[in-house]
Amino acid sequence: MGFALGVDVMKKVARIVTPFVIASFTLGSVSAMAAPSSVIDGLVTTQEALNADQASVDRERVVELLSRDEVRDQLVAQGVDPAQVEQRVAALSDQEVREMNARLDQMPAGANAVVGALFTVFIVLLVTDLLGLTSVFPFTR
Amino acid sequence: MRYQSIKSARWPGALSFLAALLLLSGCATTPPLSEATRSAVPDRHLIDEVPFYGQGDYQCGPATLAMVLEHGGRAASVDELIPQVFLPGRDGSVQPEMLATVRRHGLIPFVIPGRMDALLKEVAAGRSVAVLQNLALAWWPMWHYAVVTGYDLDQERLVLHSGETPRMDVAMGRFDATWARSGRWAFVALPPGELPVSTVGREAAGAISAFESVQGAQPTLPAWRSLVAREPSLALAQFGLGNALAASGERENAVQAFRRAVQEDPDFAAAWLNLGLVLRSLGQTGEADDAIRRAAAIPGPVQERAQEQLEKDRPKVRD
Repeated sequence: MGFALGVDVMKKVARIVTPFVIASFTLGSVSAMAAPSSVIDGLVTTQEALNADQASVDRERVVELLSRDEVRDQLVAQGVDPAQVEQRVAALSDQEVREMNARLDQMPAGANAVVGALFTVFIVLLVTDLLGLTSVFPFTR
Repeated sequence: MRYQSIKSARWPGALSFLAALLLLSGCATTPPLSEATRSAVPDRHLIDEVPFYGQGDYQCGPATLAMVLEHGGRAASVDELIPQVFLPGRDGSVQPEMLATVRRHGLIPFVIPGRMDALLKEVAAGRSVAVLQNLALAWWPMWHYAVVTGYDLDQERLVLHSGETPRMDVAMGRFDATWARSGRWAFVALPPGELPVSTVGREAAGAISAFESVQGAQPTLPAWRSLVAREPSLALAQFGLGNALAASGERENAVQAFRRAVQEDPDFAAAWLNLGLVLRSLGQTGEADDAIRRAAAIPGPVQERAQEQLEKDRPKVRD
């Protein structure tokens, strides 16, 4: 009887659980369809083919993932909201990730603000503006 | 005495500095416009409909993006763009993230060749061009993003949405001097299917592929199709189209694209491997194995993976 009860309970549990299991399988396969690599296993992606100077596509993949982590850390260190950083890194190409890792500190950051311009620099820029070399002060145009 | 010696050192320095300035000014007076360029584009053009967004402090990056995105049909507000592209630690926005943010909003950013004629051709074709300038000097940089919306060849002037000023009128020479200090960096943001006017090649394939990584294969198909139509001999473009088709479930068409890729470049191992794998998924095992064997025979980064695929196939053949 204990056994019969067990089976009964099992059936009830199964009745409740089965739809969820089926649903999770279906959802799983839908998300698998969305990921290009799992449509046909083993395809070389276009990003991989573009990284022509690598030793092995598979090894390159690992390096790429690690360097994306590094860029993420760098961006957070530069004050980017951690909630935003994931999407920002995801939008970079492999090549851009490499560039960011190599020289983010030296990269020009477009800002256009005269930050603590010293008087001498002001004079120099005024002269270069008048010569048409620079474009700092609106009144020289 | 000591004061005297410092003073005397100052004047030669100042004089040589002025001399250097005079030498440099030679570069600023002549905008690099060939006769060929002048005849290739209309004398003047102004894209009237580019919206203008003024920038707050340090926000020329987000403001520039807001303008080119809306002009490309994917409006986004400056406030929405700031957390996506602005880098607080640098008080500005860096180039790779400018491109990345364009991708997130559904347009493909193409960096165009750093030449005045390439820039003018895009504007003449109705595309607003985002540019990076160094408004000040190499050793005292003032980096700035702006949008070129028009030009006048006779007057040698450009029209820019820049900073707080819509339709700023700038002499080409002055603009070119500031643009040259950024390595003449410029990009257009185009919907998938449109390509830059200037020559396209490997870089364009890279731009499209980066977009595909963010937005997925299906929205990217029109871009690959245009690139293939424009540069049929670019094997990488055929390869990219093949991958996007395979990922969108169009396997027969993917096979055709990979076939054209290996026709154009018989040493393209990745294209042989992908051709083989798609054929295999279609049940055409004989042809598939031939293609994968070709991939496995070409030394390079794909060889290892192709050999693994051949190994995978072997037990099945013995069954």
